[in-house]
Amino acid sequence: MRSFTDFVSGGCEMKGNLQTIVYAAVLGAICGSLLAGVDQLTGPYKEANAQAERIRNILEVLQVPFSKESGPQELAEVFAANVLEEKFGELPVYVYPASQDKDKVKSVAVAFEGRGLWGPIRGFLALRPDMRTIQDITFYEQEETPGLGGQIASSWFRERFKSRRIIDADGKSGIRIKRAGGLQAENEVDAITGATMTCKKVEVILNETIEKIVRAYPNNDE
Amino acid sequence: MMSNQSQSRPDCAGHGLCCGRGKQTLCEGLWKSNPIAIQMLGICSALAVTSRLENSLVMGLALIFVCVGSNLFVSLLRNITPRKVRMIAEVTIIATFVIVFDQLLKAFYWDMSKQLGPYVGLIITNCIIMGRAEAFALQNPPLLSMVDGLANGLGYAVVLAIIGFFRELLGTGRVLFFERLGLHIDLSGWYTANQLMILAPGAFIALGFLIALYNHARGPESEEIKS
Repeated sequence: MRSFTDFVSGGCEMKGNLQTIVYAAVLGAICGSLLAGVDQLTGPYKEANAQAERIRNILEVLQVPFSKESGPQELAEVFAANVLEEKFGELPVYVYPASQDKDKVKSVAVAFEGRGLWGPIRGFLALRPDMRTIQDITFYEQEETPGLGGQIASSWFRERFKSRRIIDADGKSGIRIKRAGGLQAENEVDAITGATMTCKKVEVILNETIEKIVRAYPNNDE
Repeated sequence: MMSNQSQSRPDCAGHGLCCGRGKQTLCEGLWKSNPIAIQMLGICSALAVTSRLENSLVMGLALIFVCVGSNLFVSLLRNITPRKVRMIAEVTIIATFVIVFDQLLKAFYWDMSKQLGPYVGLIITNCIIMGRAEAFALQNPPLLSMVDGLANGLGYAVVLAIIGFFRELLGTGRVLFFERLGLHIDLSGWYTANQLMILAPGAFIALGFLIALYNHARGPESEEIKS
């Protein structure tokens, strides 16, 4: 008798579990396909926006003049008229030539990307024609902690990179993002207080790219 | 006939589409138990995105969309949802709506999407939405649940819009959203913009004043009801 009740209650539970599983599977499938559909529909628009954002950032680091209000179409036109996409050895670069003389260069931008604290960090580093002095930097994609690491995208942090060098006095490549204590060497950048982890990650990402730049343009070393 | 209908819908007492409780439900969410001013829910995003009126409006719209949608679906599924997975089911439904809104924003309003950053995604964890699903949609029919979602979403949006308006006005001396509509408010002649208002402390100050005003307007009887 006891075994019979056990059997029945066990059977009920089994039925309940089965119902739960079927419910979860159906709900998951419906929500999943809804999301897939929306992703498909919005895909081209998101792609265009992301592309425009990249172009806007390249123009910004290269200091190509453009109107802040320009839409994706105008940005693409300014980009096509002013920026050359080249490959220097293995390294893809964006070159902003002086308008009169195509051999003279105003600035060169290189893309960098890597892992930040929470997600990928992507951006562009622009160098002066000597390929050793930083002209500007942008971070166009980052998911760092808002208010702390997220400030890497702010203008005041980007300002700190300007005119810093990507090699130290001995010619060794790499920058240092340093905590407080005053900057001594010309390849040092002041870090963000409270965002040590993000700064460390940014330093690693940038130095990987700087390594590539120095390898691609070796003869500029003094 | 009438009794038959209310028998088949045991959670529905009155007449009409919303069981005669539509107005009352709308009033509850908007005023009597406003999610921010009374229940103190959803404060995180209310403080974070209200430095500009336009951001506040889009955030309010997002919450209305998600709250109406999730309440509708939670309510539709309320009789077949197994109790032990109901919260997971609610979160799944909420997350779906949030991601849909986020994707639409990324596709058609890129600048705003960049400015709101992680806060659109964080609507998933907004206590208002989960709270309404648990406290209301699980016990009530779909249409009434939608009204409840709308009421609470609007209650949130109105508060955000008020905070956003005053923070932007006092913090920058102008309101960009109004300028876009052709209505210029410029205080720069006699008012020095107070940056504090668009920084984090300004959010707390504005919300504090608003809640104080709200409680004053509601009168003392509300205290008794609460205690």
